[in-house]
Parts: sequence; C-alpha cells; structure tokens
Amino acid sequence: MGGSLHKVGKLLLAVWLLHAAGYQPVTAAATDGSFTNDACIQCHAPRDPGLVDAWRASAHARAESRVDCVACHGESHTDAGPRARRDATCSACHGGPTAPVVHSYTTSKHGILLRLEKPDWTQPLAVANYRVPGCAYCHMHAGNHAAGAGVRDWNPLEDTAPGEQDRIQETMRAVCRECHSPRYINSLFSNGERMLSVARMKMREADALLEQAGAEFSADELISARVQMEHMQQHLKNVLLGIGHQSPDYQWWHGQPALDGDLLRIKAALAESRRRHSDRKNTEPTHAPVFKQRIEPGEGETQ
Amino acid sequence: MKRRPVRYVWIPVIIALLAVPAGFLYVDWSKSGAGDGLYSRKWSPESVFAYWNPKAFYTSVETVSGVFGGPQCVNCHQAVTPGIVRDWQASRHAQPADRGPVYCSACHGNNHENLHLPTPEVCGSCHAARHAEFEDEKRFGFPSHALAMERAQDAPHFVDKPKAEVSACLQCHSVATKCDSCHTRHRFSAAEARRPEACITCHSGPPHPDDETYFASAHGRIYLAEGDSWDWSRPLVKGNYRAPTCAYCHMSGGRHQVADKSMWKFGIKQINPLTSNNAVKRKQWVVLCSDCHAADWSRDRLAELDAERKQAWEKLYAAEAVLKGLRKDGLLSPAAGERPPYPNDWLDTLWPRARIGFFEGQASAFYNVSPIERDYFEMWYFDNLGAYKGAAHGDSGAVSQGHAAMDNALKAITHQAARLRSAGEEEQGETAASAELWRSGEYTDFNREHN
Repeated sequence: MGGSLHKVGKLLLAVWLLHAAGYQPVTAAATDGSFTNDACIQCHAPRDPGLVDAWRASAHARAESRVDCVACHGESHTDAGPRARRDATCSACHGGPTAPVVHSYTTSKHGILLRLEKPDWTQPLAVANYRVPGCAYCHMHAGNHAAGAGVRDWNPLEDTAPGEQDRIQETMRAVCRECHSPRYINSLFSNGERMLSVARMKMREADALLEQAGAEFSADELISARVQMEHMQQHLKNVLLGIGHQSPDYQWWHGQPALDGDLLRIKAALAESRRRHSDRKNTEPTHAPVFKQRIEPGEGETQ
Repeated sequence: MKRRPVRYVWIPVIIALLAVPAGFLYVDWSKSGAGDGLYSRKWSPESVFAYWNPKAFYTSVETVSGVFGGPQCVNCHQAVTPGIVRDWQASRHAQPADRGPVYCSACHGNNHENLHLPTPEVCGSCHAARHAEFEDEKRFGFPSHALAMERAQDAPHFVDKPKAEVSACLQCHSVATKCDSCHTRHRFSAAEARRPEACITCHSGPPHPDDETYFASAHGRIYLAEGDSWDWSRPLVKGNYRAPTCAYCHMSGGRHQVADKSMWKFGIKQINPLTSNNAVKRKQWVVLCSDCHAADWSRDRLAELDAERKQAWEKLYAAEAVLKGLRKDGLLSPAAGERPPYPNDWLDTLWPRARIGFFEGQASAFYNVSPIERDYFEMWYFDNLGAYKGAAHGDSGAVSQGHAAMDNALKAITHQAARLRSAGEEEQGETAASAELWRSGEYTDFNREHN
C-alpha cells in the first residue's frame, strides 16, 4: 500500500515537473484542427527544444520573409512530417522546377532515382529508409532543422577560409559516407574544389579587367559589362550546383564553357572600347589619361 | 638507260617500310603517357578519373588485407556501407532465377588489397550478348556510347584545359567505360534503365536537350501522364508500351546498340540523307515506327526531319561563309595569332588559324576566340542542335524556337561582320594594349601552364 502511494506520489511529482516545464500531453484533440506558427512553437519548444533552437538559428528563420513551421509542414498536424520531407515543398520556394538550384538536382542521378522510386515520405530521413537522398535528406540531415548548417552551399564567389572549408566539407562528407566509400567522396570533393577554383579564376580575370575598364568604358558600355558579369555570377553558381548536386550538365554546359563565353565577351568589349579611344586619341591627343597610363612603349609587342 | 626508273621504285618502298612501323611506334608511344588515349603524354589524370575510367586509372589502395568470400563481404559491409548492401540485396544479382547469388567478389575480386572496379568487360563475362552489342557500336563511328570515352579524352579542348575543369566531361563520357551510368549501382536494374529518366542526366542541356524535346513531344506527354503505371519489367518490344521511350527507339528490343540507326550524327555536321547506307538506316527507322504508325506516315516524318536539317545547314553555312570571309580578309579580332595558343597544339602555334565549322575543329575552339566565332559556336551547338532534337523527337516548339534563334544569330553575325569590316578599313588588327588583354589574365595564364 505504502509502495503504491509512493508510486502515485512519484507520478504526481513527474506530472507537476512536466507541467512546470510547460509540457502538454499530446492527445488526439490537441493535434486536431489547424495551427499557427506560434501554436507550433508553444507546444514544440518544450517538447523538442533542440529542433526549435536549430530552426531559430537557421537561414530559414533569419530570412527576411521568414520560413516558419507552417510554411513547410502546413497548418494541419496530419501528414505534417511527410509534407515537409518532400522535395516539392522545398522547390516551391527555391525557384520551381526550372531554377538551377532545383533542376541541377532533378537531373542528377539522385534526383532521377528519387523520382522513379517514389520513396515513402512518412519515414524519417535515415539511410535505412531512402535509397537516394532528396533535398531534406542532405540539407536537413537526420531532421536537423538548422537548414543549411550541415550540407550547404559554400560561397561560390570567393574562397572560403581554409578552416571553415574543412568544417563544412567534413559535415558534408559524413552524410555522403552513409552510402558512398570514403575514397570516392574524397576524390569528388577535392576534384570539385579544384573545378570551382578554376571557375573562380575566370571570374577574377573578368573582374580585374572591369576594374581597369571602369575609367575606359562609357556609361552604356559599363552597364552592358555589368550585365555580362551578372551572367558570369550565375554561371559560376551553376558550376557549384553541378558539383554539389553531381550534375555534369551544370558543371559543364551551364558552367565552364558559359564562363569562357562571358570572359571573351568582356575582353572583346574592352578591346573595342580601347580601339575607339585610340582612334579618338589620333584626333584628340589629351583624351583618357587612364588609358594612356596603361600603354607603355613597346608593351604588348613582345609576343 | 631504260631500267633506271625501275630502280627508283625502291625508294618509296623503303620509305614506306620505315614509315609505317614508325607510325605505329609513334602512336604506341603517344598512348604510353600518364593520361589515356592519343594524347596521353600531354596530361595526367585527376584522382577522381579512377571512377570515370577505371580500366585506365583505378588502382586499389585498400589497406584491409585478406581474401574474402561473398557472404563475408556482405557481413562486413552491412555495417560499413549499408546503402550499398541494401541495394545489392534488392537486386537480381542477390537472387538470380537460374543460379546462386552473384556476390561482390564476382565483380570486385576477392583479394581485399587488390580490389577493382568493374569495367564493361567484367559485366560482359556474364552478360556476353549485351556486351557484344555494345562493342558492336564501334563499327558505326561517332556518336556512340562505346566510343564516348575516346571522344572525350582525345578532344583537343580536353587535352588543353585544366583537368579539374574538364573532369565534368568524363562523368557522362564514362558511359563507355562502366555500365552503371544507366543501370545504377548496386541494383543494376533493367527496368530502371528502360525509363527515359535514366538517360537524362547526360542527355540534357543546351547541345542535346533530349529530355525537354522528348517530354514535350506527344510520345513524352503520354509517358508523363501514364508511364508510372506501366510494367517496366517487360522487354522493349511492340505491344508492351503504349508510347515509345528513349530506349524503345534507340535500343529497340533492348539491344545495347544505339549507333546502328544513327543517320543525322547528332545534328553536328551535315549529312547526305540519300546514301545507300542511310537508305538502310531509314528503312530500320520505318520498321521501328511501324510498331505503331503506318509506314508511309513514318517516311513522311523522316522526310520532314531531312528538310529541317537542310534548312538549318543553309543558315549555318551562311554564317560560316561570313566568318570565313572575315578570316580571309584578316578581320577577325583578335586574329588567330593574337590569341593565347592552345598549349598542346604545336600546329596552331606554328600556323595560327581560326577554326571555323565542324571539319576545322571548331567544336573544340569555343574559348580564346573572337566573339563573332563564339556567336557562331552557340548558333551551331545550341540553337541548331536544339532544333535538330526537336525535329527528331517531334517537338515542333523546339524546332521553331531553334530556327528563330538561328535566324537571329545569323542576323547578328552579319551585322557584327559589317561593323568589323568598317572598323577594319580604318585600322587593321588589335591595338598593342588589346593584344596583352587577350593573352594574359589569371585563368588564361593558369590554362597555359596547367593543362
């Protein structure tokens, strides 16, 4: 008798502690109906504190138009998990099926197998449940709500600090290793890093030219050059997406040769501008001091 | 007196006797470098090439020693690489109908310190008929799957550019050197390879939008609407599928031979559709289309494709003529000698010459060229090939889009040529400062030194 009273006491204490901690027992009634983001947080913050904190630290929560629980999980508790795991949920905001970030994945082997095999999205994001990864499998690995903290893009436009690079890459490699051999992953990563650095060189070559050209270009020419640079940024991002999502098409056709084209067009615009300036120089000798500085006697005739 | 000319006959004979073996020796020598293929002495592979071209580049670095039998591999790898084991367990290899399981060791070897990646020959040791069909493609020349790796590695721009940059090429061109491009590891499913999606990781993008043009065609729309409910375990023969897919037409009956019906050569060069050889291929197409369509109707569609190609080549040759005219008059800017030479092309260094069109190798000269040549490259490689794929797959939208783009490109090229001519009359060639501009820069310098 004393023992069972003791048990009841323990139970009451436990209920009180949980209540004090803000715990609300989940009943069928509690998950019926539709919920706002605040309601989600109110209930889940005490139940899954790590999850909510991870979301709070994520790019999603910090975005100008915040991507909250309801945005991915919907307002209803029914199928809230599967709804958020599906690729379509991500691509709805990330540009739709034709956006490079989505298309580079959907045409990759991962994307194709996912489309053909139609995984059971009710299952948690673990290697035992999915033959190939979808968006969330890698980018919200094991349900980590800090989207972008693990497998994420690294800035395509500039080299990441070496330590930071290692940390990002190690997190990613660990995800890949669930299916692939370490040697394969290491080869792909080191190759990808070099491929990206070659693409960055093209960008920097163009940047350096534009910096020189700033004073030489007319206002109109400068605008066209900047438009070309915007193309170049997208093509550089495509190389990165091609590496990250393993899409040869984005590494190559939407990436490297496209960058080659951008670079030679910027060079051609600058060459033409210089030719025009030098024509003018024949009649107006005091024109364009920046241009004159750069032409040293004999320079460029060496080759 | 009269016998003297006979004596001279020996001179060419001796020269030939020396030159022919010397030629063979030279080719052998050129293939013996760190790279692979005809220019193997001019490049070394990235480590990842081991996976794209295992026969040439994969060597085992395993440190686990011992000789293992199949069940032992599975036991250990269930923990090490669970995804791979699960895939294999779901494959026909794990439970063939007519024999015991095909374990890891059958393809990778059983000595753990000397494992290998399976090549098509390894797969062919069981799947001999399929492998023979695949090898048979080589008779028909490019384009083909079986010759794809040679095509990539022997391309001048592959040899010339930094290897980290062009490793993108080998991922698709590895269809020649391993079977899992279509039958993904470790399920190696025939049903999966029959689906059109199996092809589109490589058959997509500006020069070969096979995915877009097929999915937009009537065939593709039927597939998209119904394909998920079709029984993909059935062979690719008449009556099994309501609409054709990539493999139904290009690998009909499941034959691993995509080159034998190839007439239009990807749209890259003009072909004569009326040769006797092409008459045979045309007949094969008509027989295939007749699985569903009337033979006359099919012939008409193929004739439409011929007509579309003729029209496309009129536009392309018009643009080529403009470019060749500029080259002749020295008006390409920068001219061939003013650009960075392709580091491995000694002929280009000795005799700089802009390459224009297919036969001069412009497919490899899409960088370090003047913008008007690049415009033509894009017209030829993107607009034209897009139109071709549209015409071949029955996507009329892509045909009109491609032709409109070619019309615009031709207009722009003509306009730009006129500008170059009027500028050229005032001043020939580049200014000194621009020569420097073309020949140096971070990537340009890196490319020169790290091909």
